[in-house]
Amino acid sequence: MTHQEPSPDDLATDARAVSITINGTCSQHHVQPRTHLVDFLREGLGLKGSHLGCEHGVCGACTVQLDGQVVRGCLVLAVQADGRVVNTIEGLSDSGAIRELQQAFVRHNALQCGFCTSGMLMAAHELLEKKPDANREQVREWISGNYCRCTGYQAIVDAICDVLAQRSKAGHAAHAEGAVA
Amino acid sequence: MKAPAFSYARPKHLTDVLALLEKHGDEARLLAGGQTLLATLNMRLSEPALLIDMQSVQELKGLSLAGNSLRIGAMVTHSEIEASELVAQHAPLLRMAAPHIAHRAIRNLGTFGGSIAYGDPAAEWPACLLALDGIVVARNLQGERRIAARDFFTGLYTTELAANEVISACEVPLATPTHRFAFEELARRHGDYAVVGLAASAQMNEGELDQVRLAWIGVGNMPLRSTATEQVLQGQQLSDALLARALEALRSELQAEADLTHSAAAKQHLAGVMLKRVLNTLSSPAPALNSASTV
Amino acid sequence: MELQGSVTIPAAPAQVWQALNDPEILRLCIPGCEEVRQISPQEMHARVMLKLGPVRANFVGKVVMTDVRPLLGYTLNFEGSGGSAGFARGSSVIALTPTAEGTRLDYTAQASVAGKLGQIGGRLMDASARQLANRFFAEFKAQLTGVASGERQIAIAQSGPAEADSATAASANFPIVARANAAQPATGGNWFDKEKPRLLWFAAGMLATAFGVWMGAHWLR
Repeated sequence: MTHQEPSPDDLATDARAVSITINGTCSQHHVQPRTHLVDFLREGLGLKGSHLGCEHGVCGACTVQLDGQVVRGCLVLAVQADGRVVNTIEGLSDSGAIRELQQAFVRHNALQCGFCTSGMLMAAHELLEKKPDANREQVREWISGNYCRCTGYQAIVDAICDVLAQRSKAGHAAHAEGAVA
Repeated sequence: MKAPAFSYARPKHLTDVLALLEKHGDEARLLAGGQTLLATLNMRLSEPALLIDMQSVQELKGLSLAGNSLRIGAMVTHSEIEASELVAQHAPLLRMAAPHIAHRAIRNLGTFGGSIAYGDPAAEWPACLLALDGIVVARNLQGERRIAARDFFTGLYTTELAANEVISACEVPLATPTHRFAFEELARRHGDYAVVGLAASAQMNEGELDQVRLAWIGVGNMPLRSTATEQVLQGQQLSDALLARALEALRSELQAEADLTHSAAAKQHLAGVMLKRVLNTLSSPAPALNSASTV
Repeated sequence: MELQGSVTIPAAPAQVWQALNDPEILRLCIPGCEEVRQISPQEMHARVMLKLGPVRANFVGKVVMTDVRPLLGYTLNFEGSGGSAGFARGSSVIALTPTAEGTRLDYTAQASVAGKLGQIGGRLMDASARQLANRFFAEFKAQLTGVASGERQIAIAQSGPAEADSATAASANFPIVARANAAQPATGGNWFDKEKPRLLWFAAGMLATAFGVWMGAHWLR
């Protein structure tokens, strides 16, 4: 894990060495301090799944995971992520972690242009982990930080509630089996 | 728009942060959670030469008990406060307020110290600090000073903090069994800036309101307390008559200003609604202090 | 954004009027002002660094005075560009009234800010304008009453347009004190250093005139 050493000239704006674990792989890069995390992911690493909508933290299209928590990728600098763990929609998708959500989104037509979708999935994924018993109202509140201009949100909420219900049923079934056995 | 070019330092010690700040003055900006600063830079509303990232400074982290107070390190995030058992037990007002702060992604990075230093009149933490009569601990190279919350916010985005000072922590008194807290906020959409909000604390002595603190959100150009209205409530039992007197006092004391979405008159009215709700909550029997009621 | 207010200044209207027309006083009073240059009797150009919360925006603009009623007031029309931060435009009417305590200055102002500052800062436009106005008048009062340390007594130069005639008599009794503003070291040097060339030329002119008169007196004898 590298640490930022203040450069001999405090005010040098040129690229710094950073070491970031991205989707499970640790790698070294050079990046200018001014570059935010999503620009680094998209332009520096070709991970175009995260999108830029507003670049001031309100739309949620840039949502990625930093040290396991969702953050606005446009409000984190790549240099701030030095020595930390980043997971993007590509990583979550490839690992199968969001398969149920992805299938539910397709089933319920929860995406049209797809611009908000990666952010929505990141937020929904965290909901499933942190609040598996969420009701519809709580789902709506949870994803209120992600804007969608196409779907009108209902289909997205339907998809997430669908997965919550499935998991809840699976949980009960497993519990019942356990109780019987 | 993209941020302009700047330099970046990530010191490990507070003294190094302070030294850089002293050396570069207003050309350097402190980077706490960055949820306000980085948005400002992305919009090119500021073009500093250097960002001093405080994420690695251990002294600024952590929630701990310090004598009769709960010490909140400046770099503690909104999410950490939301999830903390120490906070739930000793400063439940903060737990009530936390879910109202923006959205999860912002809360995971935004910091308590950053919010206090910014002093946005529409933010939750400054009003909570006022309602709890908290202390801001400010450090510079010469030493430390403790500033009472009621003296800290002096104008629009203006605080007592000097240019060469960093907030190292805030302290709030530990809640006692006679304490009651209430938090109400009205926003058009979840996570929006408050139209009107009220953070309140009081002691209940045999049904009588004691040491009521009413700290308003989104009403003036800075977080503020309505001390005249607090006086009206002092030592009284809640009744329809008392509520009427308090609303009367509030109407003359609170000079609410219009904003983009609500007129001054609307804000004044809504402030009265908030006061009524809050007083009802304060006068209710105490909820169990460690009930986990998060959204 | 609309703003109005009233402030009482413990100084005569003539003094207040003179100060309102003095680029140097204005530079010291406008929060974040780095430079004020008089282009013509009615027009000034200014450079102001707006500092509010995290925002640091450099505005370059001009102020044009119209409806000038000496000692009574004027209308200011201003516009300024803040680069990528936005563009501000507005006007302000200033009126002076003599009172027992000195002068009452009434002002109304309206302004619009276009661009990013206008979008983002919209909800706090009135509050920020009020804050800046308060700071301006606090410093303006301090300048006119010579409050606080570090002040230097200076007499405003007696030259000036005709409307200041009645002002000069008053100013001889109440010299205006311009205080070096500690928060703005960037321009460097105090008032005296900057005005030294002008004063020296003035002195040289006086000497030349006196010499000429003496010579003339001798010649004509």
